[in-house]
Amino acid sequence: MNCYEHTLIAKQDLSETQTKILINKYHDIINKNQGKILKTEEWGLRNLSYEIKKNKKGFYFHFKLEGLGKTIEELEKTENIDDMVLRFLTIRVKKIDLKTNYFENKEDQKILEKNEKK
Amino acid sequence: MKRNKKRPLKKKGSKFSKLSLFQKPSIKFFRSCPLSEKNAPVVDYKNIRLLKKYLSESKRILPSRITSVSLKKQKELSRAIKRARSLALI
Repeated sequence: MNCYEHTLIAKQDLSETQTKILINKYHDIINKNQGKILKTEEWGLRNLSYEIKKNKKGFYFHFKLEGLGKTIEELEKTENIDDMVLRFLTIRVKKIDLKTNYFENKEDQKILEKNEKK
Repeated sequence: MKRNKKRPLKKKGSKFSKLSLFQKPSIKFFRSCPLSEKNAPVVDYKNIRLLKKYLSESKRILPSRITSVSLKKQKELSRAIKRARSLALI
């Protein structure tokens, strides 16, 4: 089993119920294909540093999972077709650390966004 | 024998130039790598605050001769920055 980190950027005009459906959809795909999710993080709505498909903001979701190469293949296949997903990134990691979350504090994010505007 | 006589003459010449480029400077002006110390922060594409220190104003990667990051860590940094760029974090 390999360890992976997967991040998603979804469109900003999603309602709360739609985001839950979207997350559950990808959870199911991972679970069906011999994968196992260890942690999911929601980084929330963030400003993109440049426009992607004419979008200025996006919802960020982060999965930490164990699985095989096949699971990642299946994941990316469906994400390529999905209209609601702007971009994704999977990275193979040697060890998953579940403790650190760089996007946990909302106050820090606001400070960062302010600095970007300046 | 003639050659032996010439050599010491050359050494005198080297003493003459005290401020040559090849001399070791008395003052230390090289910093050690800030990322390979003890308790150094982990280079990761999610750690935007750390990555922003190593970007110029126009968001280009700073060369290691300015930041004095070691080669190994510079490679890690550049990879992390490129990952963060593709996710539109930076």
